[in-house]
Amino acid sequence: MTTVTPGADALAPPVRGPVRGSAGTMVRYGLRSHRWALAGVVFVGFVSPYSAAASYVAATGTAALRASFGRQTVALGPQLAYLVPLPIRPDTVAGYMWWKGLTWLTLIFAVWGLAAATGLIRNEEERGLMETWLAQPFGRLRLLLSRTAAFAVAALAAVVITGLGTAAGIAAGKGSVGVPALAGQGAALLGIALACFGIGLAAAQLAVTRRGALVLGGAVMLVLYILDALARVNPGLDGVAAISPFHLADITTAVVPGGHFDGGATAALFAIAAVLVGLSALAFQRRDLMAALVRRRPAETPVVRTPSANPLLRLPVLSSLWEQRIGMAGWVAGSILAAGLVVSIAHTTGKLLASVTGFQTFVHAAGTDSAATAVVSSVWLSISALIVAAFAIAQTSRWAGDDAGGKLEMEIAQPVPRWRVVAERGLTLVVAALVMTALGSLVTGAVAPSQGVHLDTGGLLTATALLVLLALTVAALGALVIARLPRIAVPVLAVIAVAGFYIPLLAPLFKWPGWALDLSLFHLYGTPLTTGVYWTGLWVMVAIVVIGFGGAMAAMRVREVGR
Amino acid sequence: MAVAIRTEGLTKDYGASRGLFDLDLDVSTGEVFGYLGPNGSGKTTTIRLLMDMVRPTRGRGEIFGVDCQAYPVEVKRMVGYLPGEMPQWGGLRGRDVVAYVGGLRGGLDPARVSGLTERLDLDLGRRYREYSSGNKRKLGLVLAFMHPSRLLVLDEPTNGLDPLIQQEFYRLVEEAAAEGVTVFLSSHVLAEVERACQRVGILRRGRLVQVARLDELHHLRYHRLEADFAGEVPADAVRAVAGVEEVSVEDHRLSCTVHGAFGPLLQVLGREQVLNLVTHEPTLEEVFLAYFRDPAEPAQAPVPTGGAR
Repeated sequence: MTTVTPGADALAPPVRGPVRGSAGTMVRYGLRSHRWALAGVVFVGFVSPYSAAASYVAATGTAALRASFGRQTVALGPQLAYLVPLPIRPDTVAGYMWWKGLTWLTLIFAVWGLAAATGLIRNEEERGLMETWLAQPFGRLRLLLSRTAAFAVAALAAVVITGLGTAAGIAAGKGSVGVPALAGQGAALLGIALACFGIGLAAAQLAVTRRGALVLGGAVMLVLYILDALARVNPGLDGVAAISPFHLADITTAVVPGGHFDGGATAALFAIAAVLVGLSALAFQRRDLMAALVRRRPAETPVVRTPSANPLLRLPVLSSLWEQRIGMAGWVAGSILAAGLVVSIAHTTGKLLASVTGFQTFVHAAGTDSAATAVVSSVWLSISALIVAAFAIAQTSRWAGDDAGGKLEMEIAQPVPRWRVVAERGLTLVVAALVMTALGSLVTGAVAPSQGVHLDTGGLLTATALLVLLALTVAALGALVIARLPRIAVPVLAVIAVAGFYIPLLAPLFKWPGWALDLSLFHLYGTPLTTGVYWTGLWVMVAIVVIGFGGAMAAMRVREVGR
Repeated sequence: MAVAIRTEGLTKDYGASRGLFDLDLDVSTGEVFGYLGPNGSGKTTTIRLLMDMVRPTRGRGEIFGVDCQAYPVEVKRMVGYLPGEMPQWGGLRGRDVVAYVGGLRGGLDPARVSGLTERLDLDLGRRYREYSSGNKRKLGLVLAFMHPSRLLVLDEPTNGLDPLIQQEFYRLVEEAAAEGVTVFLSSHVLAEVERACQRVGILRRGRLVQVARLDELHHLRYHRLEADFAGEVPADAVRAVAGVEEVSVEDHRLSCTVHGAFGPLLQVLGREQVLNLVTHEPTLEEVFLAYFRDPAEPAQAPVPTGGAR
């Protein structure tokens, strides 16, 4: 057989137009696909450090208060060492902001990198887009590198905005930070984003579906994260932890007074990213589309000709819960773990709150004299509220996917009234949220006494029920948006949730009027464990649920279905 | 014979001349009706209107006398439906999808499902995302045929099916028709309609341009005529003859199509010296293409190939 190399065949007919696809086009497409995530990360990247600085300013009016605040934060640090690095100079605005704002942002940038990489490869393969790209005169290597470049550009933009938020926050706290320090900190942030992008890219070569790639990449990242966390409490593990991008990112503390930029660690982050992207590119060139690099031989299984005998699949609500049972298990496990973790440090966290004048108002606002109880009532239930809101957004995303993917068309082609689809979605969410929150509350109730917190059972039940109502409220807004504009439902809900999270934090700082607080879904939820039901909030949430799901049912009756 | 599907002025106007316009159609009970048209001609829109997926701009549709928009649930109790594009069931296995859709209809007959999967050679044990496009289509057919229904609405049912399974599908349609089930089958493949249907409706640019039995389509056929003249071609006179279209002249040769009787044209031709005259009947495929051709479309220019200079 004769091998012909491109360009060697003089008799080949000339091809008009560009011979190779434009990498610029692919970069632009890649940037476009990151636009929503970029907007979210940019928003959080700016607001998170700035709000951390603002709360520092509010809590520390005098030098004595700053010193006390710093001591207590240092005392709290080890309790949270499994999540974030130990605080450094938390008596200064820059030190506190680094610990409270930037270390958490590291996680957000890491998760973004993972999600972007798995989406780039697997999501586009599942949607058939990759086949289209590769049918163009465009090599796999160029495609992968151009998309990596697009993510790098997006991540750089997010890092720059985060730097601006950091500088603004430090300035607001009357501190100062130089551009080189900001650049160094930004480089570490960019490095972790790219390294985790590399992990996601590599995972996408080894898994067949996007979900599989996310699980695999997430598991790897979790192990590396835990390794870093263990090294924080056991310095003997520093050497081993050096393979963890999280550890390498944590080493740089350039914005903290007296902190430093670790060039070697940051360079190692970029090196990890480069190696993983390179290996992924090799794997991508070797593997089949829609297949993992290593293919498992399918086992010989008997042919199935009959429908499933699973009775759950035949029952409304339960069929939907069964379909998402694995994801549900993850949400429930996350909820239980978070409850156990936060409540188990309620006592220490409470001591910090009680010792700082600025935070004492926070304790009193929680309707209790016990700082530890305030932590459970406000901190833990705020986190629970965030979890159920995120769950409701995930459900909304699922509904939008069902509508766009043709499942809704198939459902309403059966003899079921259209309103039933909306009602079933709402009921499924209620059952799922109830399971999550009830188990989380059970753990809360079980762990709280060890922290000296004695919770009223009635209050805990009320708080749990209201969490379900909160989830339903977010979902009602989602159902309403989906009825008209399904594509933007998730971004809209994300904006509502993030704004709702920050409004209670920023309102006192900027002296916003009282009604502004009621714009936050989380404020509407209140602190039911200690101050009882916030009735205004409850009725507003009920109204949103009625209007949202009522409107969604009405809209479903008239809306047009079909791709 | 009772009417299974009736539409009166059914219109869905998406704007920019897209959609379906003033559809008046009757499909009789027990009939296998083929709905033909090129892509974008309004076939799927018609089906979605009948299935109450989209709402008409005006007009109405009925299935067995039940208004599709006013009583959609009652309508769907009578209908087995295959959408043009299969939904994305993701990681669910085929057997789970069947059980789920069966649950929405209040139950199903496993023996019937088993019979269908056997005939269509579909393994329900595999995950939906692992199915090939043909297997996805087979699953769609199982979902459409697995319930006893009075009407089957099938949107391009044989897309992606191999010829053997296509034959099995035609047998399923024949058996359904023999049991008195009405079948409404959209397609852009004439051979499929010829194989399965008794009557066809032809859509073009959102308008129903013809409804006819298959044998009547042959009566609609036109003739292509070519004539060589000794002198000048009487092109203007030929163009003026009723039923004569697509007149072209090249040197002393005339080409045209003739719809209906030849008499008036022969009278014109008889005034000149005709050296040679050839006519031929178009195939059914050509008849079909003639209906699909958009009169507004310019004649196609030859597509340059990579080697063209």
